Amino acid sequence: MAEANAPSFIDRAAALSQPRNKAVAQLMDSGDVSGDVSIAPSVQGSDRFPAPDAAYVHIPFCRRRCFYCDFPISVVGDTRRGENSGAIAQYVTQLCTEIRRTPNLGTPLQTIFFGGGTPSLLAVEQLETVLTVLKQQFGLAANAEISMEMDPGTFDLAHVQGYHACGVNRISLGVQAFQAELLQACGRTHQPDDIPIAVEQVRRAGIDNLSLDLISGLPHQTLEQWTFSLEQAIALTPQHLSVYDLIVEPGTAFARRYKPGDKPLPSDTLTAEMYRLAQQTLSTAGFQHYEISNYAKPGYGCRHNLRYWENRAYYGFGMGAASYMQGQRFSRPRTRREYFEWLEAGMPMDDPVATEGDRLLDRLILGLRLANGLSLTTLEQEFGHDTVAQILTTLKPYEERGWVACQLNQHLRLSDPDGFLFSNTILAALFEQFSDD
Amino acid sequence: MTDAAVSRIRNFSIIAHIDHGKSTLADRLLQSTGTVSDREMKEQFLDSMDLERERGITIKLQAARMNYVSEDGETYVLNLIDTPGHVDFSYEVSRSLAACEGALLVVDASQGVEAQTLANVYLALEHDLEIIPVLNKIDLPGAEPERVKREIEDIIGLDCSNAILASAKEGLGIPEILESIVHLVPSPEDTIEKPLRALIFDSYYDPYRGVIVYFRVMDGQLNKGDRVKLMASGKEYDIDELGVLSPTQVVVDSLHAGEVGYLSASIKAVEDARVGDTITLAKGSAPSPLPGYTEIKPMVFCGLFPSDSEQFEDLREALDKLRLNDAALQYEPETSSAMGFGFRCGFLGLLHMEIVQERLEREYNLDLITTAPSVIYRVTKLDGEVVLIDNPSNLPDPQNRERIEEPYVQVDMIVPEEFVGPLMELSQTRRGDFKDMKYLAQGRTTLTYELPLAEVVSDFFDQMKSRSRGYASMEYQLIGYRENPLVKLDILINGDPVDPLATIVHRDKAYYVGKALVERLKELIPRHQFKIPVQASIGSRVVASEHIPALRKDVLAKCYGGDISRKKKLLQKQAKGKKRLKAIGTVDVPQEAFMAVLKLQ
Repeated sequence: MAEANAPSFIDRAAALSQPRNKAVAQLMDSGDVSGDVSIAPSVQGSDRFPAPDAAYVHIPFCRRRCFYCDFPISVVGDTRRGENSGAIAQYVTQLCTEIRRTPNLGTPLQTIFFGGGTPSLLAVEQLETVLTVLKQQFGLAANAEISMEMDPGTFDLAHVQGYHACGVNRISLGVQAFQAELLQACGRTHQPDDIPIAVEQVRRAGIDNLSLDLISGLPHQTLEQWTFSLEQAIALTPQHLSVYDLIVEPGTAFARRYKPGDKPLPSDTLTAEMYRLAQQTLSTAGFQHYEISNYAKPGYGCRHNLRYWENRAYYGFGMGAASYMQGQRFSRPRTRREYFEWLEAGMPMDDPVATEGDRLLDRLILGLRLANGLSLTTLEQEFGHDTVAQILTTLKPYEERGWVACQLNQHLRLSDPDGFLFSNTILAALFEQFSDD
Repeated sequence: MTDAAVSRIRNFSIIAHIDHGKSTLADRLLQSTGTVSDREMKEQFLDSMDLERERGITIKLQAARMNYVSEDGETYVLNLIDTPGHVDFSYEVSRSLAACEGALLVVDASQGVEAQTLANVYLALEHDLEIIPVLNKIDLPGAEPERVKREIEDIIGLDCSNAILASAKEGLGIPEILESIVHLVPSPEDTIEKPLRALIFDSYYDPYRGVIVYFRVMDGQLNKGDRVKLMASGKEYDIDELGVLSPTQVVVDSLHAGEVGYLSASIKAVEDARVGDTITLAKGSAPSPLPGYTEIKPMVFCGLFPSDSEQFEDLREALDKLRLNDAALQYEPETSSAMGFGFRCGFLGLLHMEIVQERLEREYNLDLITTAPSVIYRVTKLDGEVVLIDNPSNLPDPQNRERIEEPYVQVDMIVPEEFVGPLMELSQTRRGDFKDMKYLAQGRTTLTYELPLAEVVSDFFDQMKSRSRGYASMEYQLIGYRENPLVKLDILINGDPVDPLATIVHRDKAYYVGKALVERLKELIPRHQFKIPVQASIGSRVVASEHIPALRKDVLAKCYGGDISRKKKLLQKQAKGKKRLKAIGTVDVPQEAFMAVLKLQ
C-alpha cells in the first residue's frame, strides 16, 4: 500500500470530532463540591480522561443463535419482534433506566451504535424511546453518526423508514455469505435472496451509508465461493464492508462440531489466502482497508468504531455491553437476569481503573488494528521516551520481516496484509514485554 | 514421657500396598491409644508433606510413639515406624524394617496381595520380623477375606488362621490389632549395658535446628548432651536435643535400647547423617557398626534446565536446599548447546525424579525443562577404558567404542490371569527376557521378566497399569549390566541437532523410535512462520523425517462492541505460553517435547 496516502476518511473522522472538549468535562454535579483545593485532582482527572462522546447500545435479541456466535444474546424465536415480545419491551425499559442513571460527563454524543443481537427486531417506537432518552441524557451533535445493525429478513421497508425517521443514518447489514448452503451451515435465518431486498429497502428508506458484514473461513467454504461473495457484495455498492475471519469460539455450536485447523474448516493457508484476496479485490474496487477487518470508501470509515480503535472513551448500555469511561473499562453482566440484578444493585462498576501497563497495551492492541497505526509522538507524550524505545526494540525483528512499519516521529503500524495476518504474534511479543501479570 | 522397660516396648511397622489403607490404620491407632486427640487428628497424620497427601502415598517416613494400656493392665510403649510405599525407596524401607521386631501386613480384603507388598514382606522376613496379617476394608461389599487369606497363605506361606479382620475406616478390629502387637511382636533385646549403637532410619533438614535424625536405639543408652559419632561418615556431634515422636516431638533426657526417638545436633545436611548409618558414643564407641549400611546410588538421570536462563543460579540454590534433605539426590552442572546451563541430576527412580521436579517448580517457583530420563551406560572404548555415561549426548562415537552395556532389572509383576497376555506382550516389546510365571490363587499370576532399566524408566509402569486396567502391580531390582547393540539416535530440528532430545536405543528399534518421535514432535512443536524439518538420525544417516508446515496467519480480528477484555486475555495467554517455550535456534520448542520420547505409542 502506498505510504503517502494517509486515508482521508480518518482525517475527516478526526476533524468531525473536534473540538475534543478538554475544558468541558465536568466530572460531577458542581453542587456537591465545595470550592476548595480538592477539586483540583478531579479536574486533572477529567483532563486525563476526556468525556465519552459515543454510546454503544446492546440489543441482545435474535431469532436464533448462529453457530459461530458467542455474543451475549437472548433468543426470541422466528415469530417475535419488538411489537409482540414482552421480553423485548421489558428490556427496552431496563435499558432506558440504565441510560437515565448514567451521569452525563459533559459532551454531546457524536456517535451512537445499536449492536446486537439483532437491533432490527426492535419496534420503531422502541428505538425512538431509546434514542430520545439518550438525547435527553447526553445531548446529540447535529451531524452525529447513528448506526444500527440489521439482519436481512428481520424487517420490512416500514421499519427502516421508521428507524431513519428517528435519526438512524447508517446501517450495518449482517450478510455473512451469499450461498444458501453456507448460510445454512452457520445457522443464519436468512436466504441469499433476502440480501438484495434488504439493501433495496435500506436505500428506499433514504439511508445511503450502508455497510455489509462478510465472514471468511466458514466450514466447507472454498476460495471460489469467497470470490463470489466478495463480487456480490461489491455489486451491491455499499460504502463500507466488515470482513471477518471466522473464529471458532469456545462454547459455540461450531466449537462442539469442529476443531480449528481440521476439516471441514478451511486450512489457515486457505483462510490467509481469503484474507489476501479480500484485500486485493476490495482495494481494486475502491475500498480502503482502513482497519484490520474493515474496508470503506473514502470518507465512510465508521466514526463510532474508530473511537474504539483510537482508544477514546465511550458509554456502553445494555447486557454484555462494554464501556470505557474515566479510564475504566467495564463489561456489563452477560445474561438478562444478571443485567437486571446489576441495575437493581445500583450499577456497581468495580473493575479496576487500568494501570499504565494496561493502558499502554490497550493502546497498542487497538491502535495497531488501524492501517494508519498509532502516532509515536502521542505514545511518547503519554508513556515516555523509554517505553517507545522499548516498543521499537521489541518490534525490530518484525520490522525486519516487513510486518511492522515505524519511522521516527511517525506512525507505528502493521503492514497490509502480512503484518495484519500475524498481528497476534506481534501483539503477544508486546504483551510479553509490557504485561504486568 | 513414661520411662519404658525394654520388656514393654514393641516396635513395629506397617506393610501395605498403596490404597490398601495403611495411613488410615495408622491414624486409628494414634486415636485409639489417645496419642492424638480426635480434635488434633488431621487426615493421615503420618504423611506430613503436602505432596504425599495429594498423591495419597508416603514418601518420607515418620514415626510415632504410643502408650497403650493392654487388657493385662500393663502399659506398653508401641513405636510405629512408618515406611515409604514406593519401590524407589526400598533401601529406606529395609532400614525401617531393621528397626522393628514386628510388622502388620495390611492387605485390602477386596483386592489381595500386590507385588510391592510381597517385596516388602520378603524384606521383613529377612529381618526376622513377626508378621501379623490384617485384612482391611472388610466393610466393603466386595470384600472376600477367605479368598485373600488363602492367597496370603499360598503366596507368602504365612499362617492366616489368626488374621485380623479390620476396617480402619470404620474403626473395626483396632483393639485386636493393638492386643496382637503386644502379645505377638517380641520385645527388643535388653542390651542397655552394651556400648551405644542406634540405627538411623530417617532424617530431615530443619532450617532452624539443622538435621533431625530419627533412630532406633539397638544397644546401650543415649543421653542429652552426649557427644556422638556417626560410624559411616566418621563425624562427631554434641546432641542439642533428644526426644520422642508422639507423634509431635517431645523432649526427653535419655533413650535406651529398644526405644525410638529423634535427635538434633547441628548437623548441616542429611548426607552427614544418612539412613542406615550407626550412631555411637564418641567416647566408648561400639567396636562395629550395625550391619546393612549402603550408600544408595541414583539409577535414573535427567537434565534439568531453567526455561529462563537467568534462573540458573536460583535452580542451583534450590537443588542445594533440597539436597540438605535428600541425600539420594545428585546433580552436577551440565551445559547444552541447545539448552544453555542446567544440571544433570540423578534420582533413585521415576517417582523420586517427579517429586524433585515438582518440588522445584512448586516450592521454588522455577520454570524447568526436563529431558527424558536416562540410565547409566557402561561403555568400553577401543583402548580398553571403561566410561560411565549418564547423558546420551556424551556417548563416545561408534568408531571409538568397543561395546555398550546397559543396566538390567528383574521385574516381578502380580497380575490377574486375563491380563497376562497383554503384559507379556508389553514386556516383549520392551526387550524383556521372560524368566518365570507362577500361578498363584484365584486367577492371579506372578510374572517375572528381566528388562533393560532404560525400558522400565520410560512409561513401562503407566503402560502396565493401563494394559491391566489398573490391576497389575510391580516391583523391580537391579541385577547387573548386559551388552546390547545400542545406538545413539539424534534429533535434528531445522537441521540442528538438539542434544537434550538424543536418546540411546536398541539398533532394532531405532527406526521405529525415530519415526514415532519425529511424528510426536511434529504435533508438539507449534508452527512457525517458516517450514521446519524434524529428523531422526543415527550418525549421518537420517532414519525418519517430517516437517512442520509454515504458519500462514496468527490473527483474531474480531473486536466486538469495543470489548477488548477477552482479546487481552488471549494475548496474555499467548505471551505466557511463549515464555514457556525454549528457543532452539530460531525454533521455539515446548517443554513437553523434551519428554516426548516417553510418550511414544
